[in-house]
Amino acid sequence: MLAGVFLWPLGASVIASFSREGQWTLANYGTVARLYARDVAYTVGVAAAGTALTFVIAIPVCGWLRLRAFGPVEFLLKVPLFVPFVVVGHALRVFWSPYVPSFASSWAGIATALAWKHLGLAALLLLGAFRSTDDAYLEAARQLGAGTGRLTRDILVPMAAPALAVTGILIFSSMLASFSIPLMLGRGGGPQMLMIDVYYRFGQHGDFATASALGVVAYLLAMGAALVYVRRLTR
Amino acid sequence: MIEPARSIGAMAARAGTLAVAAFLILGPLLSLGVWSLAERWTYPSPWPQRFGGRYWARMLAGDFLQPLYTGLIVAVIVTGLALLFAVPLGYALARLRFAGRTLILLAFLLPQAFPQLPVFASATREFYRFGLAGTVTGVVLVHLVGGLVFAVWTMTAVFRAIAPELEEAAHNLGASVTRAFLTVSLPLAVPGLVASALLVFLYSLDEFTGTLLVGAPFVTTLPVYMYTASVGYELQIASVTAIVLMVPGALLLLLLERVLKAEYLVFFGQV
Repeated sequence: MLAGVFLWPLGASVIASFSREGQWTLANYGTVARLYARDVAYTVGVAAAGTALTFVIAIPVCGWLRLRAFGPVEFLLKVPLFVPFVVVGHALRVFWSPYVPSFASSWAGIATALAWKHLGLAALLLLGAFRSTDDAYLEAARQLGAGTGRLTRDILVPMAAPALAVTGILIFSSMLASFSIPLMLGRGGGPQMLMIDVYYRFGQHGDFATASALGVVAYLLAMGAALVYVRRLTR
Repeated sequence: MIEPARSIGAMAARAGTLAVAAFLILGPLLSLGVWSLAERWTYPSPWPQRFGGRYWARMLAGDFLQPLYTGLIVAVIVTGLALLFAVPLGYALARLRFAGRTLILLAFLLPQAFPQLPVFASATREFYRFGLAGTVTGVVLVHLVGGLVFAVWTMTAVFRAIAPELEEAAHNLGASVTRAFLTVSLPLAVPGLVASALLVFLYSLDEFTGTLLVGAPFVTTLPVYMYTASVGYELQIASVTAIVLMVPGALLLLLLERVLKAEYLVFFGQV
């Protein structure tokens, strides 16, 4: 089942990316380099900005929640987990459209919307990591006069560094591969997210070979997430 | 070590954080509500010029009942099939050590780890050859990929949490492997099974990318319907649909916050 609907198409797309009209060729990658190099850089930039924004919000809030539990805020942070991707894209588009109409489809708008959706996942993973930090360290630092900010920066974050790295990789890969959120935010002029390019290349131009080459670029960029999963599995 | 808020300053910090979090998280969701009631709202007015229930009435009169119905049918079939596979497979993965076990687990992680859209585009092409593109069967198959990932991983975790000693006790009393499974492990797994089923159901109901590619142009579920409305600048219609789409997730969040374990949610947040 899985082989037929996932592994086979995955393989087929990799093969298709190296062939055109029955010939083995790198021409599709040439097309990608010629037409989409800017979009690849743009996608990596948006995903990096989105991941950074997620962390900038999630780390202090989760540190604060770890040190001074406050149920209502923790509940709010988990809400985005349960909001479908398409709804997130649309909600943020209509949230901004009456006031800053062109923001939604800008790079900052896409990064913000992606960060909104990934806050839930970040909160879940970071709170888990922060809560497994031993109280004794925090207690000792607090006796020495450290406040919530210091405790988060100097104890929680360094001790949860591996978990932070994993969270960052997963969120970054997910943002790279995001499709429904940028699609719902609308197409502005200028560069596009990679998955939007794949969709239009395939759907409107009917150019499966180039779409697949774009896909392979995305697989490679998202390889970090795959490695995280494999490591988790083999441990 | 958790400090209770003692001073006025600490209370103010709490209230302030709550207010900011509420605005940032709930603001966009509430704006869906405002948009769904806005009969007229043109830039640069900060507020709709005319409110009314026209769009809700139009929706409830049947505009979106067909996609809702299609989505529910697909979700029920996907949930049933996913659990049918995942219960025995999850049990085997949790209990038995066999050759290829890691490989199977890995195969069930790949859809999670790789960008899905290019794979679904490729699947759509394959489906065309077998006449599956644009059919409910095709959409069910593509939903089963993600659905199985959730179901297999949650069911493996569920069965792993059930002590094998309970089954051994049943074996010692003469029960066969099948009987021990059916009368001891399976009943104990029911709460996890329900949680797993709900996650798969919700996933299928919300799935957009695969449905858009494989289902086009004949199979429309609510997310696809919403996208079509939004592309046509019918923001109100899309907002009404978005609100309806959030209902199952909201129920799950409110009802199951305690039942759902964090490890299930981690998988859920990533699709």
